[in-house]
Amino acid sequence: MITLWHFLAVAAALFGIGLVGFLTRRNLITMFLCAEMMLQAVAINFVAFARFHANLQGQVFVLFILAVAACEAGVALALFISLYRRRRSLDSTDWQELRELGVPATVDDEPLQRPVIEPEPTLTPAGARPVPQLTAEEAARV
Amino acid sequence: MFEPIGLALIVLLLPLSACLLAAFSSLTPLKKLAHVPLIVACGSAAVVALLLLLKVLDSGAGVPPSKPITWFAAGHLQARFTITVDALSAIMLAMITFVGTWIAVFAGGYMRGDKGFPRFFAVMGLFVFSMCGLVLANNFFVLVAFWEGVGLCSYLLVGYYFEKPSAAAAARKAFLYTRLGDTGFLLGIFLLWKLGGWHTDLNLLFDHIQRFQPDAWQLTLACLLLFCGAVGKSAQFPLYVWLPDAMEGPTPVSALIHAATMVTAGVYLLARCAPLFAMAPDAQIVVSWIGGITALLAAFIALAQTDLKRILAYSTVSQLGFMFMALGTSGTISPAFAVTAAMFHLFTHAFFKALLFLAAGSVMHSMGGVIDVRQFGGLRKVMPTTHLTFLCGALALAGFPLLSGFWSKDLILESLLAAVDTESHYTAGYFTLFLVACVTAFLTAFYTFRAYFLTFWGPEKIPHEAGHHAHESTRSMTIPLLILAAGALSVGIVLEPFTHWFSDFLGSAPSLMQARGRTPAKDVAHHFNWIIASVSVVLALGGIGVAFALYRNGGAERAPAGMAKVFELSRKKLYVDEIYGAALVKPVEVLAFLARVFDGFLDALARLISTIPRFIGGWVRPIQNGLVQFYALSMALGVAVFLTFVVFRITR
Amino acid sequence: MNLFALSQTQQAGGHIALAALLGVVGFFLLLPNPRGRFVPGGIAALIASAAVLVSWLVITFGKPVPDLVGTILFVFFSAGALVFGTVLVVQKNPARGAIAFAFVVLSTCGLFLLLAAPFLMAATIIIYAGAIIVTFLFVLMLSHAEGPSDENDRSREPLYGGFAGFAFVGLILFTLHQTSLGAKPDENTLVPQSHLLLPVITPEERKSLGEIATRLEEAEKLLDPDISTNTARNDCLEAFEKVYLPIKNHLTLVVGGAHVPDGVPPPNLSELETFGTFRNGSIRDRLVKLSVKPSGDGPALFREDEQARAIVKRSTIVRETQATTYKAVQRAMGENPDRDAAKAAVRQLRDEVLLLRGASDLPASNVRNLGLVLYSEHLLAIELAGTLLLVAVIGAIAIAHRKGVAK
Repeated sequence: MITLWHFLAVAAALFGIGLVGFLTRRNLITMFLCAEMMLQAVAINFVAFARFHANLQGQVFVLFILAVAACEAGVALALFISLYRRRRSLDSTDWQELRELGVPATVDDEPLQRPVIEPEPTLTPAGARPVPQLTAEEAARV
Repeated sequence: MFEPIGLALIVLLLPLSACLLAAFSSLTPLKKLAHVPLIVACGSAAVVALLLLLKVLDSGAGVPPSKPITWFAAGHLQARFTITVDALSAIMLAMITFVGTWIAVFAGGYMRGDKGFPRFFAVMGLFVFSMCGLVLANNFFVLVAFWEGVGLCSYLLVGYYFEKPSAAAAARKAFLYTRLGDTGFLLGIFLLWKLGGWHTDLNLLFDHIQRFQPDAWQLTLACLLLFCGAVGKSAQFPLYVWLPDAMEGPTPVSALIHAATMVTAGVYLLARCAPLFAMAPDAQIVVSWIGGITALLAAFIALAQTDLKRILAYSTVSQLGFMFMALGTSGTISPAFAVTAAMFHLFTHAFFKALLFLAAGSVMHSMGGVIDVRQFGGLRKVMPTTHLTFLCGALALAGFPLLSGFWSKDLILESLLAAVDTESHYTAGYFTLFLVACVTAFLTAFYTFRAYFLTFWGPEKIPHEAGHHAHESTRSMTIPLLILAAGALSVGIVLEPFTHWFSDFLGSAPSLMQARGRTPAKDVAHHFNWIIASVSVVLALGGIGVAFALYRNGGAERAPAGMAKVFELSRKKLYVDEIYGAALVKPVEVLAFLARVFDGFLDALARLISTIPRFIGGWVRPIQNGLVQFYALSMALGVAVFLTFVVFRITR
Repeated sequence: MNLFALSQTQQAGGHIALAALLGVVGFFLLLPNPRGRFVPGGIAALIASAAVLVSWLVITFGKPVPDLVGTILFVFFSAGALVFGTVLVVQKNPARGAIAFAFVVLSTCGLFLLLAAPFLMAATIIIYAGAIIVTFLFVLMLSHAEGPSDENDRSREPLYGGFAGFAFVGLILFTLHQTSLGAKPDENTLVPQSHLLLPVITPEERKSLGEIATRLEEAEKLLDPDISTNTARNDCLEAFEKVYLPIKNHLTLVVGGAHVPDGVPPPNLSELETFGTFRNGSIRDRLVKLSVKPSGDGPALFREDEQARAIVKRSTIVRETQATTYKAVQRAMGENPDRDAAKAAVRQLRDEVLLLRGASDLPASNVRNLGLVLYSEHLLAIELAGTLLLVAVIGAIAIAHRKGVAK
């Protein structure tokens, strides 16, 4: 027979795994999914308590957790998109400007084995490239 | 809704809404119409207040206080908000809103084109609101809140021309001097709460004190402390010096706040607390003496002043002293009679003093801002309406027979004389005060008409600041003058001497009934006292006559023969400001210097100590590295440590 | 076996610490690292950690013998959740991580079903698996980059992070252990877990309680007639007494109390508590073990979980209420008759009976009740949640709309 304790233990383990992921992974989306996983663990706790106290309050609470998680997902996605637009990366380490004045930025010291990206073959452009004819005035302004 | 309490709340909220409208109008192009909300609100509030007056008149014994709203309760102390509507507050409400309406109309013309136009009317609205709230308050919480509210409005309006250093200084002076009194006021309130079983509602408080009478000295002390507040707010000796300086504000402000309403708050406070004062005769004689000293002193200083508004300001101080003299007899004679005398004088004074100020404002307006009586003269022909209305006000103030000031001043003299005729220990004191009042009445008539003759009689003389614009003011300014002049002429004779309507109505106020039941004093019959009337007629006509003899030709100012020294003393305001400066300000400056030296020492010490956190801060600073995950990690580790502690501590 | 010479707490603490340490090692080896990962070692460490954890669970909470199906399902779903959770954390490719998260959600939903929450199961699948993950995949698609990248192939402080997370888990498990000491099975029982199969309220008891509630409602109506005169009042009381005695006897069978054999009416119902024979009632017979614990704590429960405790407490309340109900009615119908008080006493008993009946196992078909609770007790919160969602939508649009500049 499975008792309340078993559910609580599983929920704790799930929460811990999510916490590890949140603390160590650097992709914003993975971090967010780990946070959601922690929420799931909490939801299991609530439902288990609801079951073992024979009332519905815990389930109601989980319903609100769902609502909040949905809001959070929407706003977080929007944030990720706008962050990605700025830095072309989802690395959370890219955003560390809010540090104490004079503290050096944290940079990764081990080099990544990046594959050399071969430029895709293209045809040489035909004809002469048009050269803009600038007037003296425009040249001065440029 | 149309219960008296509901009506009172309407009266209270109308000026507030006007204040908000005026404040918001400064953001819109309707800036120039900022005076309209205040005029409308005050006018309708005056109508509602009249309705309220009729309702209270119908209900006879008065209306029970409103249902309390409890703010918080701690032990026996229940902080509750209640308002009360009785004869006292109904009369005050009607007076405030009525006079306020006409002053607002006047100000609409007087302030036209000023750049702070909306600000002026917003603060005026706030002031009327605060004053109405002050009058309606039934406990010290609300009372103090609105008391400070009117103080704030006074500060804002005195310092209205804040670019002028003198105006800013005057505003600060007004605020600080009243604060001196307020300190005593607050102490008195705390003492009263202690004596009154921590009841905060005034009626319950008075009941409790009357039922369980505390020691006489405690009660006297509490009354005197309360009176401190009144001294500050109502500009009595020795704290009166702020009021003349407060004339730096625009003239309508002087009329409304520093003549008709706010400065009478102290009188109102004592009238409201009459049941208390009636039980403390020792405090009462102090009240009377302070009133008497102030009345005489201020009248004397007013003799030789040359600034028209300052003359009126000193006269206000002096008249307030009159009211306190009358209040001080309460308990020795029937409290109802004493309070009626004071309140009636307050009521008539509001009319004629507002009128005088507005007329002075009208003069000032057309003279290009000049207010020195020596610089103009013979304005009788230039400004006929202003001249006539000023004359009405001056006659009423001087106590010319049958005008309103005459009747109310007579009531005060009568109350003093009645106090002489009792078994009290202080009959001699009251008799001296009666004489003082008589002298003051004579001086009042003299200085009022000195100002009048210097301004309006003699050869025509117009200061060059006025340029070619010296002419009668616009209609929006003269109409309020006419209305208030009618009031100054007639309110006295209509309300009191023949019908006794005012005293009967006021005597029906619950607090006065309560006070009457607690003192052995006998009632004073309301009959016309020929002796007093004739004495006061002689004094008034004498004062006017002397002024006429000296100044009817206007022109250069002269002192009566042999009185030059006295006039010089009066001109220098008896050197009161200088005495205060030498006796109070200098020692404080020395103290401040010493404190500054000590402060420098402390500063050095503090800087020394502050190097320690700086050092530690520099050491731990790299922790703030801006990485979100690092912060989360430290939080998780921290919670883990905390949890470890909790788990091992609790589950053991 | 020197290990077992340790105290129980030390044993549990050792187990948990070992499992946590192995977990830390496993995650350290498995998390993305530019120097490459040692996958087999990591998996082995994690399996070892899981084994230690399971052994601890078995030792602490007993062998999961009965209810084989439920146990298997629980193990299946919880293992699924934990395994896929691990995959999500250690997976380099965020898209695959998202899929793993979908499986975590599905496993969680299985646990929800086991916990009698079908509606939440459906809602979670729809919202998470259906909506959130799909949108995330869209974002991943938009921002997908070829080759290794900082965000996917590096981890920040894997050792400290793993340590923090598992310290958390270990502490919670240890707390569970400490607080569940009272719920440990009695070692003297031959079949340790069999009693846990006992329902707290049997279907027959449910039925009886329902009938009793209906009959009490009818009995309450007997108090309605005119009671202005003494005789009318006595008639009324007599009629009530006639109906009430069988009800009371019936209730006694379930919750316990004084019971009067049929056909032997006592001289006075109000003295029944002294005349009747005392019974335990079927609920207590089943749930309360009369043997006294060696520690002297009083009677122990067969089923030492919260639910059983709550039921026993509630049945005690019903018994105490029924012992005083008749007296209360009699008092109310005596001098100065107060019909409302009498009816209130009867109604109180009825309410308590209904509450007892409703406090049994949470039935799986509780969606209707959930809706009722949501829209009656938590209406304001529902409105607020809706507003929150709306605000979030507006906020998301506003944020995503702003054009950033790539550097």
